Amino acid sequence: MSDRELTGAERRYWTSVDEREGRTAPSRAEFPEGAEVSDEVSRRTLLGMLGATAAVAGAAGCRRPLQKIVPFVRAPEEYLPGKPRYFATTATVGTAAYGVLVESHEGRPTKIEGNELHPESRGAANAWLQASILDLYDPDRARVVRRRPPGVPDAVDLDWDQFASAWREIAAEAEATGGAGLAFLTESWASPTLARLSAAVRAKYPRARWAVWEPAGDDAALEATRRATGQALRQVTDLGACKVIVTLDADPLHTDGGALAAARGFAEGRKPGESMNRLYAVESTLTLTGSAADHRLRLKSSQIPAFAAALARELAARGLAVPLPDGAAPELPADAVAAVSVIADDLAANPGAGVVLAGSGQAQDVHVLALAVNRALGAPQTLHPATDVAWGGPASAGTGDGLSGLVAAIGAGEVTTLVIVGGNPAHDAPAELGLAEAMGQLAHSAHLATHYNETTDLCEWHLPRAHFLEAWGDARSADGTASVVQPLIQPLHQGKSAVELLAWIASGERPSAETRSGYDEVRTTWAALTGDGVFEAGWRQALHDGVAGDSALPAVDAAIAHDAVAEALDAAGRAGGDGMEVTFRPSAQVYDGRWANNAWLQELPDPVTRVTWDNEVRLSPATAESLGVETDDIVLVSAGGAQIEGPVFVLPGQADDSVGLTLGYGRSSVGRIGAGIGFDAYRLRSGAAPAAGFVVGASVVPVGRSHELVQTQEYWSMEGRDLVREGTVEEYAADPHFAQGHVEGDDDAALFDPPVEYTEGPQWGMAIDLGSCIGCNACVVACQSENNIPVVGREQVRRGREMQWLRIDRYYTGDLHDPGVVFQPVTCQHCENAPCEQVCPVGATVHDDEGLNGMTYNRCIGTRYCSNNCPYKVRRFNFFNFTKDTPELLKLAMNPDVTVRSRGVMEKCTFCLQRINAAKKTARVGNRELVDGDVVTACQQTCPTKAIHFGDIRDPESVVVHAKEDGRNYTLLGELGNRPRNSYLARIRNPNPAWATPGGQGGAA
Amino acid sequence: MTRRGRRLSRMGTACLLAATLAFAVGGCTRGSTSKRPPIHPNPNMDDQPKIEPFDASPWFPDGSAMRPPVPGTVARGELFADPVLHTGAAADGTWAAVIPIAVDDAVMARGEERFGIYCQPCHGAKGNGKGPSAVRGGIPAANLVGDPRLLALEPGQIYHAMDAGIGLMPAFARIPTEDRWAIVAYVEELQGR
Repeated sequence: MSDRELTGAERRYWTSVDEREGRTAPSRAEFPEGAEVSDEVSRRTLLGMLGATAAVAGAAGCRRPLQKIVPFVRAPEEYLPGKPRYFATTATVGTAAYGVLVESHEGRPTKIEGNELHPESRGAANAWLQASILDLYDPDRARVVRRRPPGVPDAVDLDWDQFASAWREIAAEAEATGGAGLAFLTESWASPTLARLSAAVRAKYPRARWAVWEPAGDDAALEATRRATGQALRQVTDLGACKVIVTLDADPLHTDGGALAAARGFAEGRKPGESMNRLYAVESTLTLTGSAADHRLRLKSSQIPAFAAALARELAARGLAVPLPDGAAPELPADAVAAVSVIADDLAANPGAGVVLAGSGQAQDVHVLALAVNRALGAPQTLHPATDVAWGGPASAGTGDGLSGLVAAIGAGEVTTLVIVGGNPAHDAPAELGLAEAMGQLAHSAHLATHYNETTDLCEWHLPRAHFLEAWGDARSADGTASVVQPLIQPLHQGKSAVELLAWIASGERPSAETRSGYDEVRTTWAALTGDGVFEAGWRQALHDGVAGDSALPAVDAAIAHDAVAEALDAAGRAGGDGMEVTFRPSAQVYDGRWANNAWLQELPDPVTRVTWDNEVRLSPATAESLGVETDDIVLVSAGGAQIEGPVFVLPGQADDSVGLTLGYGRSSVGRIGAGIGFDAYRLRSGAAPAAGFVVGASVVPVGRSHELVQTQEYWSMEGRDLVREGTVEEYAADPHFAQGHVEGDDDAALFDPPVEYTEGPQWGMAIDLGSCIGCNACVVACQSENNIPVVGREQVRRGREMQWLRIDRYYTGDLHDPGVVFQPVTCQHCENAPCEQVCPVGATVHDDEGLNGMTYNRCIGTRYCSNNCPYKVRRFNFFNFTKDTPELLKLAMNPDVTVRSRGVMEKCTFCLQRINAAKKTARVGNRELVDGDVVTACQQTCPTKAIHFGDIRDPESVVVHAKEDGRNYTLLGELGNRPRNSYLARIRNPNPAWATPGGQGGAA
Repeated sequence: MTRRGRRLSRMGTACLLAATLAFAVGGCTRGSTSKRPPIHPNPNMDDQPKIEPFDASPWFPDGSAMRPPVPGTVARGELFADPVLHTGAAADGTWAAVIPIAVDDAVMARGEERFGIYCQPCHGAKGNGKGPSAVRGGIPAANLVGDPRLLALEPGQIYHAMDAGIGLMPAFARIPTEDRWAIVAYVEELQGR
């Protein structure tokens, strides 16, 4: 906790608590311990294995495999083998809808990108969307209809005919009684067709029960608008127009719905200079939003309602029209009281350009207060009707008293047949509701899901669900913009979509694909939406663009009820936070658990903790010390009569006395990838308030065992070099070239001959803006998907043998308890005078005439000299043949334009060479020169904040050259004289001089 | 490639040649009459676990890894909002009587060049049906400039012939739309229209 602000080179950066405290010396070894060691294989075993390999090779392996050519009998139009086509479709996560553009190679989807025409994605796709392509080809996906009759342990594989006859009987019975005894439990959605069909089901069975459960949805926000305005509304905030952004336990830049558009707006409002926005984050655990914040106040989640109340009062005291009754300000810690005042001043000074965002884990009261405050501030936030939205609250059409009411009805014997559409409620609903136990009393139950999961295990029928890339559907984004879910491929298995199942139930008859498919259902809905006359042209345009133009629902100017605000203020002010609390957040990797069987996401390091293949119990350094535990120690966390065990991770920036847990791990019934990973945090979640973000009155006890958490960051040490550079707005204004004031490149110092001058043709280069990068990992998965990068598993990552070509380094700076955070994506720097090339004994890594540092895979003999000589440690080695046993299905997911590497081969970022070549071919066919923007690398394409610039550095008009001309431009270790083609733009923070609270980002950074 | 790289690759080639020779002498590779595939001791990523165009896949019933597009879907860039431009006929089936793109010298030059690539091998440089394939290969080709029936074709019909193929002539849908209309313009020029 320093009292003055450190400037420029005085800032000290550290990657972990241990490094800061000097407990370990990561600088000792260049590679993590174990990277060079083979797997507990003695030399004798190794020789034995070699002998066996030779024998096997002699028998069969040495013949060239037979490959057959299978052409089309009738080639479809516009279909050129080898040339990818792109289809616009929509991916949904709960009520959030993201327009995506999917690359299709010969009819097989291989890569998901953002659709630039869609308001929620704006051309970007996050890690989840990128990785969902792997779910399509997951060999563990549910393939057939299965039935487990009551009392029989094993399920039998069947097909839809058997389910059809079983359903006919159930439906006949239900029709006689108007649906009494029938119940439906669905996941959240925002879909015109699903809304129409579920209304039709309810019309057919008026007495049937209907409940919606979404473990990490936006129920609280929707309910809050209903309480405050009388109707459920979806909030759309234009962060690009905001000068002052305040988040209350929210993560609008990363895990919240609509984060892609928010991150883009945030980055656009963050160009260094006078008009730069300022972000205050008030939160209990360190999120990416908190990492990006200029000032961060760590506060227990249970104290955030009081903070919201205090902020509302302070704003009212500054003359803003917040409708508040008189009363005293709630109690808060001293630093929070000071922060409230500073934030209120800043908000009041920026009328019409300030916004307060409440997190989905916070109670409705906080959302109501945020709504009232935003109205008083004139925030750039609009409210749109929640048309066609299904969510867990009672206001959602026909849901009655929600999940708890449904469980009670099952318990009372009122429900005999339950149909579950999507989700995994038996796992992710609060355990104390007792859904899992109640399901045992059902006569019939059916679950439509893509994977077998905990809920399937309790159901009589498992119905395989089609992946969104296999089926027709539609969705509405937060502002109501409608878009179609367009299939890329016919279902790989027996799967049916939710649209098809609900249409079946609503009509009572099993529709055949010939008579009425999902396509017809969606078209029926859309014909009603658009009107007959213009439907056909508009429909094709909507499929082509991936979004229906002008379909956004007009914003509502709803009055906010004063009573509701007063009530919320009262409740929020009283909400206390003494003792230990437990907070729950959806995982940044597997979300609520739905992506637990996705290997790309499991291997993706958590953006903040850098832990892979695990979740952790996050404790602040102070709390950990008082409990006498360290990272990796297993603790027993108890709350509300339930308990879980998990390994501690000491997280700088975590609020004291707050236990941060990530949901989605510890799945008991999941495929081969997700089995046995992490612990199940849902078991502690309270049922008193569904989807609660935290519970209070917890206790943490060490159990005396430990579990090694695997992290990817600790060993790549900075060695005291200033790899990340940042400054404040004032430093930047005083000296726009401050970042270059460090020891900079001196070509004479180069160890090797000066490189060739690259004076002809395009010369590729990249510039990454650290000021825009929020560390969201989207680029990492995009790179993995584009470049066929193998997954190596937990044990290999532990040895430091991870394969992701692009890594994001996370650095802390400043105070141990309240650190600042900087992210730095590191790809191959494509040095013109590359140290790796100088040491390769076989010329496997060489430069091409466009300045790319290339790898000739089948020339590589695996000496790894290049990796040892790389100053950035960006080279990855195939220690094993990770792709040898690729299942037939997963072969379909591979990018045909990129080599699938084998054992013993070095690999690394190629600047997406295949994309450069494809762009060149397109230009040549079009009889034109390459222009700026023709080549877009996978990481650049998907970046939500457009932090990555790529192009020809010889073209003076190119975007990348403009970026490199910025005064903030610097190269990584440029002083080595290796002349990297990649450069970074220093990060600029916008601290508030009035912020006096010690700690927090910028405050004491 | 650096000079050093070239030298090394030459060394590699020499080694490979020596190895190939050794196998050839052994009689178990090229030149032998075995029906089994040739011996291939170093797999060297020649066969990768990915799917390339025209590959087979046991996963699908028809054995092909190339999947037909799902009916009703529209790919990006394939909106085809103007049926005349993309099919040669209006929505009611009337053939286009005029070329729907602006024809200038550049388009005509492009048409001549594309005609030379795609059409000339059969139809001949003059369009008289005496291209090398027709003359030497015995594949009959239509005389575009002499056959009165063909001289009377509407531009839309000529376009459609390239789009869908006609008689022995295969479809040339892989030629981009604008280029196909340029070829139509050039054919009309040849026909003296």
